[in-house]
Amino acid sequence: MFNKLEDVLMPIADKLGKNKILVAIRDGFLISMPLIIVGSLFLLIANFPIPGWSEFWARFFGEGWESYLSTVSRATFNIISLLTVIGIGYSYAREIEADRIQGSIVAIVSFIILMPTDIAYEGVEGPATLSAISFSFTGTNGIFLAMVVGLLSVQIFHWVYKKGWTIKMPEGVPPAVTDSFAALIPSGIVMLLFFLVRIGFGLTPYESAHNFIYTVLQAPLMGVGNSLGAQIVYVVSSSIFWFFGINGPAVTNSVFSPIFRTLSIENLAAFEAGLPLPHIYTGQFVDLFQTFGGGGSTLSLVILMVAVGKSQRIKKLGKLSIVPGIFGINEPIIFGLPIVLNPVMIIPFIGVPLMNTILSAIAFETGFLPYTNGVALPWTTPLGFSGYLSTGSLRAAIFQVILVILGCVVYYPFIKVLDKNYLKDEQAKPSEDELEDISFDDLSMEDL
Amino acid sequence: MNVLMIFDQIQAGMGGKEKADIAPGGKKGEIGSVPMIKPHLAEVDGKVSACLYCGDKYFKDNQEELERKMIGMVKKLNPDVVICGPAYNYEGYAYMSAVLAHKINENTDIPGLAAMSKENQDVIAKYKDIVNIVKMPKKGGTGLNKSLSNISILAEKMFKKENIEQLKKDICY
Repeated sequence: MFNKLEDVLMPIADKLGKNKILVAIRDGFLISMPLIIVGSLFLLIANFPIPGWSEFWARFFGEGWESYLSTVSRATFNIISLLTVIGIGYSYAREIEADRIQGSIVAIVSFIILMPTDIAYEGVEGPATLSAISFSFTGTNGIFLAMVVGLLSVQIFHWVYKKGWTIKMPEGVPPAVTDSFAALIPSGIVMLLFFLVRIGFGLTPYESAHNFIYTVLQAPLMGVGNSLGAQIVYVVSSSIFWFFGINGPAVTNSVFSPIFRTLSIENLAAFEAGLPLPHIYTGQFVDLFQTFGGGGSTLSLVILMVAVGKSQRIKKLGKLSIVPGIFGINEPIIFGLPIVLNPVMIIPFIGVPLMNTILSAIAFETGFLPYTNGVALPWTTPLGFSGYLSTGSLRAAIFQVILVILGCVVYYPFIKVLDKNYLKDEQAKPSEDELEDISFDDLSMEDL
Repeated sequence: MNVLMIFDQIQAGMGGKEKADIAPGGKKGEIGSVPMIKPHLAEVDGKVSACLYCGDKYFKDNQEELERKMIGMVKKLNPDVVICGPAYNYEGYAYMSAVLAHKINENTDIPGLAAMSKENQDVIAKYKDIVNIVKMPKKGGTGLNKSLSNISILAEKMFKKENIEQLKKDICY
C-alpha cells in the first residue's frame, strides 16, 4: 500500500518542489519573514494582553505611547505587498538565473506603475486628490497582485535579456556599469508593458489591477483557504509527505502559505486597529494549534518517550529530544526514532495533528477561544506562551496543554509497540550486556 | 549478508546538531534510522548486524585518531559490507562518510560505500573517483526510498564482488 501511495505522491512532491514559480513564491515570502516577526513583537508590546498594561506604561511615557511602537509594526505589515514583490522578484530571478537585484527592482517599479497614486481625500476646501502611495494598496490587499507582478515582470525582463536586446559595453568597463546598461532595455520594455496594462485596467470597471486581482483572485482563494477542509488537506498531506522523507510543509506551503499569510496579516491589521478579528485559520492557527513541537506534533511523543519508555533506546532519545522539542525542533525524532518510513509511527503522526486541527477548529468556531491576533511569533516560541501571546487568552494556553496531553494518549499505544520491540532486542542477550554496547575503549593496540 | 552502518549523531538517534561533539560509540544490533533501510536490505538478504556512530564535529576534530579507531573496529566486527550514510545534505556527516568509506576500502578487505546528496559538492568532487558514493536526496527531498534501495543493491554487489560498472554509472556520482 505504501508503495502505491509513494508512486502517487512522489511525482506531486517532485513537481511542487521543483516548480520554479512555486519555489519563488515560497522563498519570496520567507524573505519578509524576519521583518514581520520583529514588527509583530513591537505590536505585541504595544498591545500586551494584560489588563492595565497600557495604563501602567502611560504613567512613564505619557498617553498614546503605543503609537510610537506602532510606527515600527506599520512599517512592516502595511507594506507587506512591497516586501512580497521584491522578495518574489528576487527569488524568481534566482530560480531562472536572471539578474537578481535588477529583477527585484524592476518588479517593485512595475508594481507601483499599476498602483493608483491619486488618492482622493476630503480637504477643508472640498474634495481634492493627493499624489501618494496608499497603504491600502501596499498592505494585504495587494499580496496576490504582488505575486503576479513579481513573477511576470522578472519573466519578461529575463526573456528580453536573453533575446540579446541589450546595450553592450566594450571590454574593460567595470561590471557594475556593464550590468546596469545591459538592464536598461529589458527594464524599459517591462515598464512600458506594465504602463499599458495600467491604462488597460483604467478602461475597465475594475479601474485598477489591484481591484481586479483582489476581486477575482485573492478574495475567492482566501475564502477557500479559510476553511476546515483546506486545513485538513494541508495537515494530512504534510504528514504523509514526511513519512516518505519529504519535508511535508515545504511542499504544501508552496500552495498554502500565501493564503495563510494573508489571513494572518489581515487579523494583525484588525488587531492593531482594535477591530474584531476576521479569520480563524491563520498562520498562527497552523503553527501554534495544529502542529506545535514540529511536524506531527511530536512534543507529545517525546514526553511519552521520557515518561513511559522502558527500552534504553527510546528513553535516551526522548531525553535528548525534549529540550529541542519544546522549541519546536524535532529532527532527532524524525530521523533518529525514526518517523521516516516507519509504518508503525505514521498513524499517530497523521492522527495527532489532524485531531489538533479539528479540536482547535471547534474551540475557535464555538467562541471558546478568541481568534489568533496574527502576531507572527517565532515558530520556536514554547507552548503555552505561544497560545497566550497569540490570543491574549489564558484559556488558549491551557487548551494547548490539553492538546499535548490528548496527543500523548494517541501516541501511547504506538510508542509502546516500538518500545516493546526495542526492549526485547535489548534483553535478548541478558548475560552479554557488554557485548551489546560497542565501546571504542576496548580496542587494543593490535586492532589499530 | 552482515551490514555495518556508520552514522552521525542524528541518524544514530543520539540527538540533534547540538550533539555534534559526541564521542564514537556503537551497538550490536539496530539503532536510529536503521528501520528506514531495513526492508531494502532484506530484499538483498542483508541485515544490519551492528552500528557505529560518531558526532560529525568530533570526527573532524580528531580525524586521524578516529580513522584508525573506526578501521580497527570494523576489522574487529568483521561485517560483509559497511554503509557510511545516508548522509543527506549534512555536510559534516557527508565528509565523515566519504573519508571512512575510503579508508575502509584502503585498509581492509571489507567493501565500504557512502551515500549523500548532491549539495555536498566539495566532498563529492574530491572522493567520487575513489569511493562509491550513492546519489540520494537532501534532507526532506524526494526519492529517499529509491536511493535506500540503490544503496542496498550496490552493497550486495560489492559484497559478492560482482561487476558494478554499469550500476555505478546509474546510481553513483
